[in-house]
Amino acid sequence: MIMKQFIQLTYAVLVSTLISCGGGGENAEVETPVIGYTTKDLSNPFFNIIGDTLKAEATKHGYEVIVVDGGDRAETQDKQIDDFISRKVKAIVVSPCDSKSVAASIRKANKAGIPVFTVDLACTDETAEIVSHVETDNYGGGKLAGDAMVKAIGTVGGKVLILHLATADSCVQRVTGFTEVIEAHNAKNGSAKIVISETLPGGGNQQDSKKSTAAFVQGNKDLRAIFAINDPSALGAYAALKQAGMEGGVTIVGFDGEKAGKQAIKDGKIFADPIQYPDEMARITMDSILKYIDGRKPERVIKIPAKLYYKEDADKDPELK
Amino acid sequence: MKKIFQSRIVSEFGTLLVLLLLFAYFTVATWRVIHPVTDEAAREVAGKISSQNSSARVLIAVRGGGGEQPFAEELKASLEQAGCHVIAVESGSPADFSATLQKLGEQNQTVHFIAATFEASANGVLRPEPGKAGDHTLPGLQQRHPSLAGATVVVPESYESSQFLTRGNVLNIANHISYTAIIAIGMTLVIITAGIDLSVGSLMAFAAVTTAWMIEHWGGAADATAIGMICCCVGGLGLCGLFGAFSGVMITAFRIPAFICTLGVMMIARGLAHTIAPRENISVDAAGFDWLGSQSTLFGVPNPVMLMILLFIGAHILMTRTTLGRYIYAVGGNAEAARLSGVPVKWVLIFVYALCGLLAGVAGIINASLFGNGNPRFGEGEELQVIAAVVVGGTSLAGGEGRILGTLIGALIIAVIYSGMNQTGVGEHMQKVVFGLLILAAVLLDQLKKRGLKQTT
Repeated sequence: MIMKQFIQLTYAVLVSTLISCGGGGENAEVETPVIGYTTKDLSNPFFNIIGDTLKAEATKHGYEVIVVDGGDRAETQDKQIDDFISRKVKAIVVSPCDSKSVAASIRKANKAGIPVFTVDLACTDETAEIVSHVETDNYGGGKLAGDAMVKAIGTVGGKVLILHLATADSCVQRVTGFTEVIEAHNAKNGSAKIVISETLPGGGNQQDSKKSTAAFVQGNKDLRAIFAINDPSALGAYAALKQAGMEGGVTIVGFDGEKAGKQAIKDGKIFADPIQYPDEMARITMDSILKYIDGRKPERVIKIPAKLYYKEDADKDPELK
Repeated sequence: MKKIFQSRIVSEFGTLLVLLLLFAYFTVATWRVIHPVTDEAAREVAGKISSQNSSARVLIAVRGGGGEQPFAEELKASLEQAGCHVIAVESGSPADFSATLQKLGEQNQTVHFIAATFEASANGVLRPEPGKAGDHTLPGLQQRHPSLAGATVVVPESYESSQFLTRGNVLNIANHISYTAIIAIGMTLVIITAGIDLSVGSLMAFAAVTTAWMIEHWGGAADATAIGMICCCVGGLGLCGLFGAFSGVMITAFRIPAFICTLGVMMIARGLAHTIAPRENISVDAAGFDWLGSQSTLFGVPNPVMLMILLFIGAHILMTRTTLGRYIYAVGGNAEAARLSGVPVKWVLIFVYALCGLLAGVAGIINASLFGNGNPRFGEGEELQVIAAVVVGGTSLAGGEGRILGTLIGALIIAVIYSGMNQTGVGEHMQKVVFGLLILAAVLLDQLKKRGLKQTT
């Protein structure tokens, strides 16, 4: 019996050691200053590009960047920011999972005196202090999406579905810009009105957007077009249309211009994207961090204009060769 | 009998041992140079300065946000006691400090020493970076302003230690797991009765959203009083308890398998939460609402951790010292035998599910309080984390056995692994692999233990 217990104990030790080895990080012998980046959702390539570019830029200046996946949950992100604070990182970069809830986490970093930078998605709560925020001009980008939509179906009009992500302030602005252009178009063209017949949550991801679209097209076979607030969402919409056999008749306008999205534009699955420049956003963020550390004041909000990207652009794009 | 008892002790120590080993491992893995900001460090810096020049003019620089403020105050008091003159305490951004220093230079004020915390000295003008000149370096400023020429930067002595095994970080880890662990109490009871409750994650969201909704509509929104808020919280909790009891009734009265029944409730509660909060979030702006989730009342221990400890003590007493506790074990061990010996099996089951729902509600309100809003997306996937904590803690999914304190240890193991991996920079995907291995190891351990028991008894 005692032998058995001994074996059990040894086993426990063994297992834990194995686990420890599996999770073993490199020993921090050299004190490279660390910057922590918690992303909204690493299943979206957009945030991977920001993370990778941040890493590359930081290495040039002697910093190390830890990128973690917020998994689209405010709770996870809160824990990650706590861990960054415990680790005493130089700066925290956040792409909030929830523009409002993140404020509680950012206030903790403020209290610890660690500067916080947001990229792509803003924190909408003013009580949380942000040193600098970099984003695409989402409102302008939304207008561009509206322009593309008018270009595609402006002469005939018809029903439009919006796949939204209302928790993200950036997406709210995109939809606002989009809606304004559509309304302006409708005011001028009484005969070919573009009717935004429904705004459904698409979660900003492929799966949920596919579900929402599939449910919607069940009862709306006359759907003319879809505006999806990002590329995963647009691709999800396409998958649902294809399943319903409607992919030929419905125009999709996306947003982002990440590689899969550009490829889809080249293949004619998506009509156009206002494209963003995540690598540029990361570079500017790193620049702001360096400015802050240097004792200068970076700009509070930096907006990067989006640009429309059509099939002609995709055909010439060296990235897709 | 005695042998089984002994084996239980051993297996309990087994999980505890794993926890301690993990702590030890991450303590070593996060061993690095520590730059203290304690009162002691402040006195050390003051002593160093006053021993060199007992009437020195000192500028103090700490980081903003208030975290290093006690250091600055202690330093100021010690310096003044020693006869030195403190020109100013600067606790803003690096840019603010640079501006202050420049102003002092322009006013031709002599600065003998700049006493700073390490973090403050690592940014802005104080940053030692060779080969760089100009306005944004100390040498640059000293060249332009002769009154600053003699200024030396003094920081506290650093030493090597672990960042992991500090009071702050341990509390941090406990805080991270608090709401998962609180639900895990209820889940342990449910699993001991050989059931399962998949609805807990959704009930978290449901409690958060309904409480936030009630505060907004009935409690007086931003002007809500403490009593009003407590009533709304009790309302939210009550609804969750009812949901739990509903599951219990469905399971006992209609013999619906717990898995299916709570799966249904999981969807219902999540759907209702989204219906009540169609714009994703219901903000709670009432002052004091953050008391439960993000403040500390006793000994600097965060309130969720305090609540977690109290609930665990209560649950431990319930399971080890009361008739109801023995009933719960009996129902899980053999429901039919329990019924024949006079245990009110149905009521026990309804109680267990109601309690589990209630505790999920507590967790939801903690989250609402922490984030200042009721979010229908709270607790997505939380049920799996909770079940994992219970299983790692040594409770058997077959029912009839399990310990409340084991669950606490299980929850802590998970929290330590996550936090430790975050702090040592282990990638997100690897974390999932490790987490999966952990669950498998725990179940394997459980099986080996059982086999060992069978062979020896």
